[in-house]
Parts: sequence; C-alpha cells; structure tokens
Amino acid sequence: MDTIVNRVNAARSIAGSCHRQARGIVLGAVFGWLAIGALGGPVYGDEGPEATGSRPDALLSVYCYDCHTGDGAEGGVQLDFLQRTDVDLSNHVEVMEKAIRVLRERQMPPADMDQPDDRERVALLTWIEQRLHSFDCGAVQSPGRVTLRRLNRAEYNNTVRDLTGLDLQLANDFPSDDVGHGFDNIGDVLTIPPILMEKYVDAAMKIAEKVVADDRARRQVFPYQPEGVKDTTRLIEFARNNIRHFGLRAFRRPLTEAEEQRFFEFARSRFEAGDLPAVVQQAIIAAMLTSPDFLFHMELAPDEAYTDGIRRLNDFELANRLSYFLWSSMPDDELFELAGAGKLGTPQALTEQALRMLRDEKSQALVENFAGQWLQLRQLDRITPDPELFPDFDKSLRDAARKETELLFRHIMVNDRSVLELLNADYTFVNQRLANHYGIRGVEENGFVRVQLPNRRGVLMHTSILLITSNPTRTSPVKRGKWVLDNLLGEPPPPPPPDVPELSESAETLGTLRQQMEQHRANPNCAVCHDKMDALGFGLENFDVIGKWRDTDGRYPIDASGELPGGRRFEGPIELIAILADEKKTEFVRCLTQRMLTYALGRGLTVGDRCTVSQIVDHVAQHDYRFSALIEGIVSSPQFMMQAKGD
Amino acid sequence: MYQTPKISRRTILRGMGVSLALPWLESTTPAVRAAGAQQPPVRMGFIFVPNGVNVHQWFPRKVGYGFDMPYVLEPLKQFREDLLVFTGLTHDKGRANGDGPGDHARAASVFLTGAQPRKTDGDNIRVGVSVDQVAAKAVGHLTRFSSLELGIHPGQNAGNCDSGYSCAYSSNISWASETTPMGKEVNPRLVFERLFAGGKPSEVEKSRWQRLELKKSVLDFVQESARRLEPRLSYHDRRKVDEYLSGIREIERRMDLATAPETRDIEVDYPVPDGIPKDYREHIRLMCDMAVLAFQTDSTRIFTLMFANAGDNKNYRHIGVSDGHHDLSHHRDDPVKLEKIAKINRFHVEQFRYLLERLKSVQEGDGTLLDHSMIVYGSGIHDGNRHNNENLPVVLAGRGGGTIDSGRHVRYDTETPMCNLFLSMLERMDVHVPYIGDSTGKLPGLTV
Repeated sequence: MDTIVNRVNAARSIAGSCHRQARGIVLGAVFGWLAIGALGGPVYGDEGPEATGSRPDALLSVYCYDCHTGDGAEGGVQLDFLQRTDVDLSNHVEVMEKAIRVLRERQMPPADMDQPDDRERVALLTWIEQRLHSFDCGAVQSPGRVTLRRLNRAEYNNTVRDLTGLDLQLANDFPSDDVGHGFDNIGDVLTIPPILMEKYVDAAMKIAEKVVADDRARRQVFPYQPEGVKDTTRLIEFARNNIRHFGLRAFRRPLTEAEEQRFFEFARSRFEAGDLPAVVQQAIIAAMLTSPDFLFHMELAPDEAYTDGIRRLNDFELANRLSYFLWSSMPDDELFELAGAGKLGTPQALTEQALRMLRDEKSQALVENFAGQWLQLRQLDRITPDPELFPDFDKSLRDAARKETELLFRHIMVNDRSVLELLNADYTFVNQRLANHYGIRGVEENGFVRVQLPNRRGVLMHTSILLITSNPTRTSPVKRGKWVLDNLLGEPPPPPPPDVPELSESAETLGTLRQQMEQHRANPNCAVCHDKMDALGFGLENFDVIGKWRDTDGRYPIDASGELPGGRRFEGPIELIAILADEKKTEFVRCLTQRMLTYALGRGLTVGDRCTVSQIVDHVAQHDYRFSALIEGIVSSPQFMMQAKGD
Repeated sequence: MYQTPKISRRTILRGMGVSLALPWLESTTPAVRAAGAQQPPVRMGFIFVPNGVNVHQWFPRKVGYGFDMPYVLEPLKQFREDLLVFTGLTHDKGRANGDGPGDHARAASVFLTGAQPRKTDGDNIRVGVSVDQVAAKAVGHLTRFSSLELGIHPGQNAGNCDSGYSCAYSSNISWASETTPMGKEVNPRLVFERLFAGGKPSEVEKSRWQRLELKKSVLDFVQESARRLEPRLSYHDRRKVDEYLSGIREIERRMDLATAPETRDIEVDYPVPDGIPKDYREHIRLMCDMAVLAFQTDSTRIFTLMFANAGDNKNYRHIGVSDGHHDLSHHRDDPVKLEKIAKINRFHVEQFRYLLERLKSVQEGDGTLLDHSMIVYGSGIHDGNRHNNENLPVVLAGRGGGTIDSGRHVRYDTETPMCNLFLSMLERMDVHVPYIGDSTGKLPGLTV
C-alpha cells in the first residue's frame, strides 16, 4: 500500500510539469497494471478529491456525460446516479466496478475523446471508489437463493453408485446438461425436458431390477433382512426400517412420518395385489429414485416464520451441499451421523468435514467437475490439431495432457499447497509420453511421476491449456490471452464491436499476424483490449499448437517478449508468469474464488456476493494462499450456510 | 399423378431391408380407405445448420419454376420439383436489438421460436415456444411421441458458449416452453431403443404388462409426492417441479397409447445402431434414418435435427477443409475461405439429400412419405461474416400432403418474418394459432 501511495504522490508532483508522453508512462505505472488489486479500501488516505481542486461532478460532465447519461447512454451504461444522493448504490455496484476498471485501465474515455490528465483521473477514481465503499459490507447481506436444482449427470451416476454399490453409469445416456456461468450444475439452467424425465423413470426401473438381483446391493439398500421371520408385526417392522434406511440415503434427509407411512402403504398395496417380495422392493426403490426428493437438491424456501426471509440450512441440507460440492455425490455415513446429531451446523464442523472429504478419493469429482470446467479441460475431447501439421498429436497425448493438469490440481488440493502454484509451480506430473513431449529424460513407463520443469511454470504452460487455446493449424495469441483474462484473472475483455470478426485469424501466419497486431495498435478501440490480450498470448509463443517447445515458427524466430499495459516488460513465458503470480495474485485468487463459489452453490454470483468473495480472498491471502483456506472460506460463508427467500 | 401401389399391412423400406407396420392405417377398414376418408398424416421436420452459408453459392438467380441450383444446392438437383427455395425470409429477433454480441446463440434459439432470447448466462433463461412444439402440443397426442429432438453433438460441457448467453441457447432449437428447451438425443442407438424397444412381438406379453403396471403405480405415487411439494415452493422452484410433472404426464400418455390395441404391434426390422459412429457423415445419416423410421411408423409426426450446434467450429478434414467451420465463416470475402465454406455447406446439403431420398423411397397412400412431409432446412444466419439475420438461407422440401406447389424459388420482401412460414406450416398440420414468434400473418405463395 505504501508503495502505491508514494507512486501516486510522485505522479502528482510530476503531472503538472511533464509533457503528455511522459505523463502517460507514469500514469500507466500507477493505474494500468500495478494499482489493480490495491482497491481493498480508500487508497489515498484523508486526502480526498476536494484537495486536488477538481470537483468530481464537474469531471463527470466533462469526460463521461457526453455519452453516458439518459436512455440513449452508450453501451447502456448510465452514470447519472453517481451524483445523486437519493439512490440505493447497491443497485449500481456492477456499473461502478466497471467504471473504476475502465478508468484505471485507460479504456475510458475512448482515445479519440478528450482525456482527463492523471490528476483528474485520480480524483475521479477516488471519488467513485469512496461511493462504492460507502454502502459496503457492514450492512446485512442476503445470502442469495439457489433455484431448486436437479442432479446433473455426474451427480446422478455417483449418487447411484454410493447408494447401491452398483456403478451403473446410466446417466451417460441422459441428454447433456446445459452449461451456465461456466458450469453444468447451475439450478436455473438444469431443466427437465420430457426426454430426461423418461430417462429418469427408465433408469430408476433398471436400477431397481439390478439391485434386487444382486445380493450385495440388495443388502446395502435394505439391510434389514427378515430371514426366517414369520411374525407379521416383526415383518412390518423390518419393512419400515428398510424404508427409513433407504429413504434417508436416497433423499439425503430423514423421511417424515407421513412420507414413511406413504411408502409403507405403497409397499403394502403392492404386496396385497400379489407382488412377490422382490417386486415390492423394486417398486419401493423405483419410487424413491423417481421422487423429486431424490432427483432434486431439495431446499424449501424460508416460510413466514423467518421474518427476514433468511433461513439457516439444517444439518442435512448442509451435508448435502457439502458432499455435492466436494464429491458430486451423496453424503456418507459420517456426514449423516453428524447431521443426525445436529453437529454439522458450525463453520468449524463444516471445515473439518470438508478437509476430511478432500482426503477421500471421491474428491476426484472436484478435480474432474470443478477444475475440468473451470480450466476447460473437458474441451480437450473436441480438440484435433491438423494431423498433417502435427503428426505427433494422438489420443495418448490428449489423455496425458488432461491428466497432467488434473494431477497438479489434485496435488495442491490434497497436500494443501498454495493455490498460486497453479500459476507458477516449477514442477509437474508426467508419464513417459508427456515426458518425451516436454523433452524430459529418465521417466519410466509406469504411470505419472512428479518432475521438475526447466522451462515451464504452472497450468498455463501445460499442454492441455495450450491445446485448447490454439486453432487446429496454428497458435492463437489472442485466444491464449483471452483465456488468461477470462479464466485466471477474471477480467474478461469486452467482446469486439459487432463488425469485427471475433477471434478469426484462420489464415494467420506470422507475417499476417504482425499485420493484425499493427491494426490493433492503429485502432485505439482495439488496442485497449488487444494490447493486454496479445501481450499475454505472445509471451506463450514458445509453445506450439500441441504445447511443444519451439524456438522458431517456420523460418521466423520466436519473439516471446512483450510489454504489459503499464509498461512491465518481460522476456519469455517464465518472466511473464512471475509477473502474473506476483502482481496479479489477488485477481487470480478472486477469480478462482468466484468460480469455486459459483460451483459450490450451483448458481451465478450477484453483487450481493461480492463482500463474501472479498472476505474469502482476504482469508486465503492471510493463510499463505492455502487450498484449505479457500475451502474453509467457501463452506463457512453465509452463501453456503443459508438460503434466502425467492420470488 | 402417382401410381397407386397396393397397400399391404407391411411395406418394405427400400435399401434398408426394413419391414414395418403402418399404424396409421390399422384403425381403418378397407371400405373407409376406399372412400378416401383416411389420408396419410402431414408431418413436419426442421434441420438446423450453423454459421450461415456462402450466400453466393446458395441463392438461385431465377425465380419461379425451373430455377437454377448453385454449387451448394446442386446436390438437391434430383429433388428440385420437391423443393421451395426461399429468398427474403428474416428472423428479426435473431438480431442484437440492443443485446450486443452473441449472434450464434441467438441464431439457434430464434431459429424455430422467432423470439428474442433473454441474454443471460444462467439465471432465468427465456426465449419462446418453438414451432415444432406448438405443433406437438396440438397433434402430439395422436402419436406415441409428441415430437422427436435429434442432434449430432451434445451441448458444450464447460466454459462460455457465446458472449454471455448460456449454452442452452446454442445447443437447442426446440423449446417446450419459454423456459424449457427440449434437449436432444445424439446417440442413434438410444433413439432407436426409445422408439422401438418394448414393441418387439417376441416379448412375453405378460411380463411386459406387469412391468408397465409397476411403472404406472410408481408414476402415480411420485406424481402425488410432487403435488404435495408444490404449495411449499417459490415461483422458480415450482417451475422445475412443473417440468417434472409434465414429463411424467407425457410418459403416462405414451404408456396408455402403447397398451392401446391398434398401436401395439409396431415391428421394426432395422438393425439396432451400435452407438455414435466416429464418422460425421454416417452419424448424420443414422439420425436421418431414425427420423424416417419414426415418420414411417407414425411414432411421431414432428422432428427437429441439428446438424451441429450454433457457432460450431469443427473441421471438415474428410472433405479437405481442415479449418474450423466457425473460424472460416468469418471469411472477410477471402475467396479461399468462401470456397471452403461452400464445400462445408454442400456437404451438409448432401446429407439433407440423403434424408429426402429416404423419405421419397417410402410409398405411402397415393404418394411418398416426402409428399406428406414438410421439411425445413436452413440456418439462422445469412452470411457468417456479416452475422446478419435477413434473407436467411432456407428451403422447404415436401408437398405437405398436396398443399404446397413445390419446385419453385420464391422471393419475398427482405423483412418477411420466417415465422410466417411457420404459421403456414402449422395450418397444414391442422394447427391453428393466431401467431407464432414475430409472425405477421401467413406466408403467401406456397401454392400457385
């Protein structure tokens, strides 16, 4: 913080005298790159904008209001509210955050408009930041509301596996789950079209048949086996116990008495209609597995008894959230026992359980379903580099590439390493195929081993990520840069104007690539984003389409140096990642937190969640960026532990 | 006009060695048939291709009968008399209209709905009911399946599909309600099993009946469970449980139909597909076969089929195009890229031709299955480079049971809503609605 303040002071003292170009450089150093992330609170101490002599409302009308007022506001962004004292600023958080970002990054005002000088820019920024923080996190925040969400395919498969002991994978034949907010477990997006309901019913019937035909599965589902028992009262008792046992697991909560009675009556009616015991059992299993309580993560909305419309989830609901977050599956016996004893509902208990669960093999689901979607490893299946240009590429490389990134994530998760190692680990996990690909000697045939990396760091230089950010015939610095901004820094660049083709560079050879870069630079509207995207991408040019190291592209030598907005220069990928891991670590952790919280909750985040996200980011930073701190922050957040009333 | 074939209870689907029953005839006596009271039903199908087309190689120059067929449409030459090629149809709601980028997601979700999709990455997805589902709601109860949703690629399983639009918009063209896409089946084996499993006569009647009875009682039970839940749910949650309940009702309806005597003995002698073929062409063709089988057995009268999802970027190396389709579609008038796009477009049209061949090979009543069908083929984008939504590349194949004078290239004013075509098609299915999407009226000119 001190550094920033000093730099700002320096900037102020220089600003008055230097000419435009020099001022730009200093400004860049202050706002363009370094200052991002220093926005934890008011940066400029007591010295408010008034002290600068510039009145922010005057600055707004000079530099912003030409375009950003009223109904016809450019891009739909209206800034009128900033001057008003009678507005609820919590409705404008996103716009304010955006205004700060674009001001800081000199994206606004557009280059062809009058530019504020750096003093004015500081004044405006400070003022908007103060406005933004004025309403902030002290007030009661809603924990948000998750729309009733159904099991997705992975959850269905895992739940059936853990419920019956039969790994049937029937959901592989279900229609694909649509993705929203980057994940396939978002309640609002997970619809039940008729075809899926049909598959649910057929799957339930099939599972029921398989369970009663398999002695072990049958005992797991219905452990109370009345062998040799003839007494009707006792038989009924066994049946009720079985219904209770299976009901608890299938619904992930105890059945109510009324529910138990309904299932019992259902069983009795089947029995009296002449069904064999096995058929009665089938009917019960099929009915449970077709029930909404099995298919949905059932959390009923707070009723009138909750006057503020916010309800603390009960222990069974928490157990359910926890296990689907970390295991993509139902809770295990320990979780059920804790929930039954009412011992799960504290942040400490949830954290303790979460850490236990991460050590369990089932946490592989978090790797495959969270990391697989966050880092888009699942896209690998659709990637096929041109076989003539890249004859080296084959399925074994694709598989190894995915595995490498999954193993690094898993390593950090299980060993509670710093999440920053995802960015800058100087080690990785390779099998022989991948070792050859990376030019690492001495890896034997058997499976994956940990190795030190001479010229790579972190996931960004994994073959997996390099592959999914390339075109079939050539690398794409733009795609790579955009991927970093989207997925690692959480600063997705705004989409290009409509008449510019998005990421279209299929005929891009090095020559034409340079020409395109020059076009970007020539057009200030392109430059604001492409300066950053392209610099990041060019820093990775030493890696070809399939992630192999190269010193030349055709006959051109690779130039992997670059300059990030703000003037930070780097020579090659390792320096680039060092800058990111150092100066952008807050953005990275924030981005990871946002993604993981989205995944954990099964809903998109809203402005109401930003205080929680900030608190988690701080918490992670205070704990050496450990993975466990991230998990702890999430499972003990109000968002995770509570539910607000919906519409 | 047509040679009237002798209709037996079985007919042979040429080239596939398939024998199957024609259930729509079964309930009629020869006397009624002779009186002409029972016409074969009219069917509708919709095929979506992504990324627009090479418009220079698509639109005929000559209007009316005897129109020319440019390179992309050329594979359909033998079907010229079965086609209407349109110029001028527009999906205004595919345009940004203030929503910014995301033309591909919009192009798919507007394609059959004519509605502006709500721009959201997840919360409160909304577009409109698609034309096939409007028809399905009206006539779907007449067949075992109200409609059939087919595709080649599953939805994208990670990441962002298109500029802030949830992937649901990119991977579905059929929408049961404003908020529920129908989903689609991409595995031909599963389509086949869904259509025909349980219908094999070899099956022991009694055990089948028992299973149906068990299933029925389970459905009754859980339906009641869901109803008990409903009052305790918030608005959004209730929507989910409504989807659940309408799914159950659809299954029950089918089970009732399946036990009705006149539809019980559908027999299909078609090899069960192995699964998803590696070869794209083979995959599309199997899906076409499934659509034809479904029509032929009157299992449904409505299908949709996405040859690829919106914005698809797969390469077409098997026809010598190694670039991604979407990347190419931003061609910037580069003749080399345009040529490649035309090749991809033509490849898709060739697969469409395969479907038409199959439909035409099935004799039915006094004509062919194609004569009794209306198959729309097209894209929600005109030119992939311009991302524009006027003058969409669209053709309509089939004569709609003799209600369409095909064999022509018809030109309309540029802003003629594509939904007007849908309204006219619905009318031919005996489905009468005041409007669909942004329709302004029926489309003139389908007959001369």
